[in-house]
Amino acid sequence: MRAPAVRALGVLSGQGPGSGSAPIWTLPRPERPGDRFRRATRECLLALAAVDAMLEDGKAPREAIAGERTALLYVTAAAYGASNREFIERRGGVMHFAYTAPAVVPAEVAIEFGVTGAYGILLGGAPSTLRAIEQAARLLDEDRCDRALLLAVEIFEECGDLYARHRRYTRWPLVETAACLWLERGAGELRFQSSRVAKAPGPARGAGERFAAGPLADLREWLDRGAAGPLELSGRWRDEHARLGWSTVRSHARGSAA
Amino acid sequence: MATPERVAIAAAGAVTPVGPDLEAFWSALVTGASGISQIERFPVSDLRVQRGGEVKKLGRIKDWCGVPDCRATRLLIAAADDLCAQAGFRPLPLDPARVAVVVGTALGGVEEGEKALEGDRPRRRFRDALYDGPGDRLARWLGARGPVITVSTACASGASALATGADLLRRDEADAVVAGGYDALCRFVLRGFNALRSLTRDEVRPFDRRRSGLLLGEAGALALLVRERDLRGPRLGTVLGYGSASDGFHIAAPEPEGRGLERAIRAALADARVSPRDIDLVSAHGTATLLNDRIETAALKRALGPRAYEVPVNSIKGGLGHTMGAAAALEAFMCLLSAQRGLIPPTLHLEEPDPECDLDHVPGRARAARPRIMLSTSMGFGGCNGALVLEAA
Repeated sequence: MRAPAVRALGVLSGQGPGSGSAPIWTLPRPERPGDRFRRATRECLLALAAVDAMLEDGKAPREAIAGERTALLYVTAAAYGASNREFIERRGGVMHFAYTAPAVVPAEVAIEFGVTGAYGILLGGAPSTLRAIEQAARLLDEDRCDRALLLAVEIFEECGDLYARHRRYTRWPLVETAACLWLERGAGELRFQSSRVAKAPGPARGAGERFAAGPLADLREWLDRGAAGPLELSGRWRDEHARLGWSTVRSHARGSAA
Repeated sequence: MATPERVAIAAAGAVTPVGPDLEAFWSALVTGASGISQIERFPVSDLRVQRGGEVKKLGRIKDWCGVPDCRATRLLIAAADDLCAQAGFRPLPLDPARVAVVVGTALGGVEEGEKALEGDRPRRRFRDALYDGPGDRLARWLGARGPVITVSTACASGASALATGADLLRRDEADAVVAGGYDALCRFVLRGFNALRSLTRDEVRPFDRRRSGLLLGEAGALALLVRERDLRGPRLGTVLGYGSASDGFHIAAPEPEGRGLERAIRAALADARVSPRDIDLVSAHGTATLLNDRIETAALKRALGPRAYEVPVNSIKGGLGHTMGAAAALEAFMCLLSAQRGLIPPTLHLEEPDPECDLDHVPGRARAARPRIMLSTSMGFGGCNGALVLEAA
């Protein structure tokens, strides 16, 4: 499959070390003017902030991503946990229930930036994100859109006690991350591979666990280092290990050498 | 442009409020039986609306050994058990690494989270509370070792899952895909929809001028997808195309003109390479909310033009309730069974048509017809719109 070009990438990353029983590197709740955001959840506001960061990275106005020729893909493993818990524990009002749906995070982006094209939502960890990049590449290749946005959000703080109680299921620290990747038609080859393994390799020691947002944080690091040569992104979730090989990353993003 | 790989729906299985398998589902649709009842599985006495499409019998499985006590997972596995019976397999006679699972859900295992937070075996329930937990359990039960994907485009999830499954086959990531949708009724969702005042105390009356809201239901609905060129034996039909579009309007309410749904329908027709004139049956989302049915009718008229007035446009939610993540998959199965059996199920409880919903919404009885190309539409929270185009076998 033809590899997409990276037009821009915004990544907001939690700063550690965290406090309390679970070492979580948290992101503050972004402020956003307007009554519409009065009830918006932290994950929604972080998604919007990630898109802002992406537009800044690409030096593009918000109008550049509006319209039906922009596809929007959203990936998360667990960002909905915070709003679900809030609703279960009866802290939410009437409208809060709508915010428990994972679909509402990309919906806020679609509403705020006028994105009305094809969409997809995958729930899972890093392999889902790599799969979503491939899905975006296909949408571009098949001319179903002119640009594809890939949004990934993971927050942990609200369920920190639960993660702490089940430490063996994940790696530490948990790093809250919100990221948005803007892809356009590119050149070269994109190759996605997925396999199921007994024990999948985890992230590098000290890198932290970002679930679905991990590959976009890795891509940001790679771009910041100068973006030379082919790129391989990888990730695991449950017993799946996935790899995405990008023969040429044609990039206009900040920090890129290409 | 190259012709895309054709993907067949070889078989389907379901557990629904009207019965434990696909045959019971079909019989209820054509006879007008209803699965709406008082909810019994969890306390509802404090809720304004206490009825819904509750599954009273979870399929034929007697031994749930090794399957967690998670309603969502069990709905999926009951549907998979019926699918295996329909298709005559388990395990599939294929390399397990080439068998994929794609499920759509609006709620995942949220009830497990609810129970865990109440202190009910929290350690055990925590992992199943993740929305992709039930899909992972289904893959284990099937012995599938290929990709396991959970999609969650709210109430359009079932359509997204079937389309994603078809894509896996077209890209040669798998040789068979078990795809569909599920969702379980639980206090979480019933409390939410009660709070939103979307639920009716009357019957669910899609396209009726007296309609006053929806009722929720639960179900599991799974199909076996294979490339047509690989298929040996009968099939139910073919997935011809899929389209999606965001409203970009409101997190819970549909866009008032239905522009997003219209775009999704147009994209699906283009993907399927068919024109509106080819459509013989529309399975509408038809939730029976005041807004949905009017908006959907308007979107169908714009997307299909004069053909919208010439084809039956039914809704099956009157007897099932809105089964959320399973809804679009069940509606796809209804389309294919209509073609196979030569009968189009009626829209249950549609007695006084709304003048603003002036298409042929199939009131009354099942109608003899044998559609060839069918369109199924879905709308969900967050302005998710999806449309599937299916072809009869």
